[in-house]
Amino acid sequence: MADKRRVKVLLAKAGLDGHDRGVKVLALGLRDEGFEVIYTGLRQTPEKIAHAAIQEDADVVGMSCLSGAHGYIFPKVVELMRENGAENVLIIGGGVIPEEDVPVLKDQGIREVFLPGTPIRTIAEYIRDNVRPGE
Amino acid sequence: MSDNQDLERIRQARKEWEEGPLKQSLDRFGIEESPHKVYTPLDAENHDFLEKVGFPGVPPYTRGLYPMPVPERATRGDARAPAGAYAGYGTVEDTRDLWRQQRRRGANVAFDLPTQCGYDSDDPMSRGEVGKVGIAVDTFRDFETLYEAFDGIVTLDNMSSNWTMNGMANVILAMYIALAEKKGVPQHKLRGTPQNAILKEIVARGTANFAINASMRMVRDTIVYVDKYMPQMNAISICGYHMREAGATAAQVTAYINANSIAYVQLGVDAGLDPDEFVPRHFTLLSGGGSMDFFMEIARIRASRRMWPQIMRQRFGSENPRAWFMRSTDHARVGNITTTRQRAINNVVRGVVGGIASALSGNDPVVAEEFDEPLGLGHSYEAEQLSLDASRILKDEAKLGQVLDPLAGSYYVESLTDQLEQEAWDIMKKIDDMGGAVEAVRTGWMEREIARSAYNFQRQVETGERVIVGVNKYTGENEIDITPRITLTVSHPYDVRKRAQAEEIQIAKLRRIRKERDNDRVKYALQDLQKAARDEKENLIPHLVATVKTYATWGEIANALRDVFGDYEPMTVL
Repeated sequence: MADKRRVKVLLAKAGLDGHDRGVKVLALGLRDEGFEVIYTGLRQTPEKIAHAAIQEDADVVGMSCLSGAHGYIFPKVVELMRENGAENVLIIGGGVIPEEDVPVLKDQGIREVFLPGTPIRTIAEYIRDNVRPGE
Repeated sequence: MSDNQDLERIRQARKEWEEGPLKQSLDRFGIEESPHKVYTPLDAENHDFLEKVGFPGVPPYTRGLYPMPVPERATRGDARAPAGAYAGYGTVEDTRDLWRQQRRRGANVAFDLPTQCGYDSDDPMSRGEVGKVGIAVDTFRDFETLYEAFDGIVTLDNMSSNWTMNGMANVILAMYIALAEKKGVPQHKLRGTPQNAILKEIVARGTANFAINASMRMVRDTIVYVDKYMPQMNAISICGYHMREAGATAAQVTAYINANSIAYVQLGVDAGLDPDEFVPRHFTLLSGGGSMDFFMEIARIRASRRMWPQIMRQRFGSENPRAWFMRSTDHARVGNITTTRQRAINNVVRGVVGGIASALSGNDPVVAEEFDEPLGLGHSYEAEQLSLDASRILKDEAKLGQVLDPLAGSYYVESLTDQLEQEAWDIMKKIDDMGGAVEAVRTGWMEREIARSAYNFQRQVETGERVIVGVNKYTGENEIDITPRITLTVSHPYDVRKRAQAEEIQIAKLRRIRKERDNDRVKYALQDLQKAARDEKENLIPHLVATVKTYATWGEIANALRDVFGDYEPMTVL
C-alpha cells in the first residue's frame, strides 16, 4: 500500500527503571512485523516521552515500566498528550505490573496493558486493530 | 582418557549400534534421526583429568573454588547473603525500624532508583520512584539514620555491609568511612561490598551515572583506596546476572564476565598495583544468572571457573593461585527471567531444577528464585519459605551436594564444558579485537548482542521451538492454575502505606536539611570535589568523604561530577 505510510510506534522506557529486555525485544519484533519503531532508550520522563511522541508524529506510544512507577508515569503521559491535542495517539503500556493496577491504568487512558508472557504478535495485532494512523 | 586402540573399538561399536538397534528403532517410529543424543569417550577424546578437572579448591578450580562449601549454609536460610537478605523500602526510618525489629546483624541495602541513578528525591526524574525498589538516601543524615538499626546490637567493626550501588558506589563508601569516623571505628576494620560493576550497568542494568571513562576511573579509585586503607573491604562485585537476565546466552555471559573482569583488573594494574595482591583481596564475583538449559548451566559454572586461572596467568602473569579465582557465590540456577506470571506456582518447580543444577555443579543445592517474582515488586514470606524449604529438601532428604561435582568425567558434561569454554574464548577474541570490554560497551556492541539474543529467545518461544509450560503450550481450558492468591506488591512485613508516603516524607526531610546545613561549606566542598574530578590522577574518595560530611545532597554530588565527567547516555539504536 504505497499511499499509506507505515504505522509509527514510539517505544519508551519510563522513569529510572533499567529493565529493558522486554522493550528492546518488542522494538525488534514490531520492526519485523512491519511497523516503524523508534526506541527512546532509558531514563525518559513523561515530558520527554510526550514531547518525542508529538515531535515524531507517532501513531502509538508504548511505555515499559518494571519498577513500580507506572502509576505515576503512564497516566502523566496520557495527560500531557491530551494537553497537546494528541488524543488520537494510541497509548499502551507493559511490564511487571500488578493485575489490580490494570483497570486503574485503563480508567486513566492507557488503552491496554500487556503483562509478562505476552507474545509480540498479540501486541502487533492489538496495534493494527486499534490504531488510527495519521494522514 | 582412552588409548587409540580403545577409541577405535568404541568407534566400531558405535557404528554397529547405529546401523543395528538404533536403525531398527528409527524405522519402527518412522523417523529419520533420533531426537536423543548419546555420548561416548569419543566426545571427550583429549580429556586430561588433572588439567581439565582435578580436585575442588585447587587449580583449575573446575570442581569448585574451595575444597568444600561452607557447612550447613544452604539450609540455614542465609545461603544467598551473609549480610542478611537484600532489603530496603520506603524511608530509611522505615527500614531502620524493620531491621531493628528483625535484630539484623548486617546490612544488605537495596537503594531506590533515584539514589542508584544519582538524583535527589525531589528531582523531577525521581517522581514515582522514591522508596519503591529500595531506600532513598538524600544526604549523609539518611545513611546515619539507616545504621541506627544496629545500635546496641552490633558495631561497625563486627558487621558486614553489602550495597547494591554501582555508579555512585564511592559516595556510599565515603558515607561508610564518615560514619565509622564519627563512631570511632578505624576504617581498616570495616568490611563490606559495593557492587561497583559499572560495565554491566551500562550494558544491562541501567543505573549508570557518568560517561564510561569517568565511570571506570571511579572504579579505579575504589580499588586503589581500599587496597591502601581498607584491607577487608571489597572494591567490586563483578556481575553477569543482569546481562543474563537481559538476554545473554551462557557463552555470552561467560565471555562478558571475563572481559569485564579483565578491564577491572587492568585498572589496578595501570595504577601500579600487584594483581596477585589486590584481586584475591578486593574482587568478588556475584552471579552469572541462569536458564532452564540444565546441563548447559552446569557446564557454564565449570567452564567459567577454569577460564579465570588461564586469564590471570596469561594476561597478568599471575603466580598466586589464590588470584586465580574470585570469591564467589555463583552457582548454576535458572534465574528469575525463567519465572512465569502464568500459573506462577510452577516457578517453584523451575527453581528446584536450578537447585539441582547448583548441587551438580559443585555447590550446595541453592534454590535461588521465588515463585512470585513476576507477580509484583518483592517476594512474599510464603514464597521465600517455599524456596528455602526446597533447598533443604534437596540437601537433607535427597542428599544432593554430598558428592562434589558428581558429573565430572561424564562424556556429555565434559564435552559440553569444553564446547562452552571454546565459545566463550571465541567471543572474548572478538572483544579483544575491538579493543577490550570498555570499547565493546562504549560502542553499544555488547548491549546490542544481548538484545539480539533476547529477541532470538522470544522468537523461539513464539514459534513454539522453545516450550514454556503454561505460556506457549499446555494452555487449554482444562488446565488449572493452583497459584495461591498473592496480591502484595512488597514482602509481607513491609507496610504498604508507609511505602506510599515515602516520597512526601523524604522530600520534606531533604528540604529541611538544605535549610539547616551550612550552605557555604557545601559549596566549597563541591567546588573542591569538581577540582579533584578534573585531575584524572586524583583519587576522589577522600574528597567525597569531606563532601558527604557537609550534608551535600546526593543529587548535588552527582550533578557536580556529571558537570565534569559528562552524563551517561542511554543507547537508543538497536
